[in-house]
Amino acid sequence: MKNAPSGDVSSVDVRGPRFAAWVTSAVLALALVLGSGWLVAAQAVVFAVGALAGLRYAPYGVFFRVVVAPRLGPVREREPEAPPRFAQLVGLLFAVVGAAGFLLGAPAVGAVATGLALVAALLNAATGFCLGCELYLIARRALPART
Amino acid sequence: MSGIGVVVLVAALAVTAVLAWWMRARNGAVPTVGEEVAAVPEALVRLGVRPEDADLTVVQFSTAFCGPCRATKARLQQLQATRPGLAVVHVDAESHLDEVRELDVRRTPTLFYVGRDGALLGRSSGAPRPDELAALVDAHVGDRSGGRS
Repeated sequence: MKNAPSGDVSSVDVRGPRFAAWVTSAVLALALVLGSGWLVAAQAVVFAVGALAGLRYAPYGVFFRVVVAPRLGPVREREPEAPPRFAQLVGLLFAVVGAAGFLLGAPAVGAVATGLALVAALLNAATGFCLGCELYLIARRALPART
Repeated sequence: MSGIGVVVLVAALAVTAVLAWWMRARNGAVPTVGEEVAAVPEALVRLGVRPEDADLTVVQFSTAFCGPCRATKARLQQLQATRPGLAVVHVDAESHLDEVRELDVRRTPTLFYVGRDGALLGRSSGAPRPDELAALVDAHVGDRSGGRS
């Protein structure tokens, strides 16, 4: 995110990522019930767009902005884009493992990875807590210090 | 229908409920006044904490991918505006990983509370609860408000 073009004021309506987390939870729950690797793969693509292109292009975010937000009233609070965008990247990793597990004949691996992504998404939707963001410092701590 | 999928779904819902409950019970809990104190760790001194300069020094560890850090920073600034005895030190966790490991900071924001006498009053993780934070601050700087120059 450090190489984001200057002038890119990366902030989003706080309600957007929460809405996206609810949709993500529903998709992942459905994927688990159906045991559908393709549905997990579709969610992985959604995560990838948000993480790599930015939240303003993330499908659920676009749907929120165009369809839902106008019915909710004006934006009351904005937040920096970096934390929820990083969380999309963490979600992507789990969704890729989940989809690969289901599609390559290891449904237990697929289900557990998908389940972990579901926990993070649902916790974020229900409480606003960003589990993916919490992993950032833990991961950085485990790596040697940058010199 | 996928048998294992349904099992994992139920497990995921249970895990989420437990995590949400834990969050509500623990997240952002600020040490209460009169809690056990310890000496200020040397790592905090290295980060520029000077306890004797203020009635209460709050040290906040933040990272770039931390939503609640920004709100916590603003909250501390707001408290500082009316309480001149409160000092705040902001630490970017990523650029001080040695101290982060030494102090066992696992989450951001993590806050350390240091008294004027150099005693570590405690720490909190997650956005501190506003009422508990105000209570701790007031217990240490409240009686001097306005009287300092």
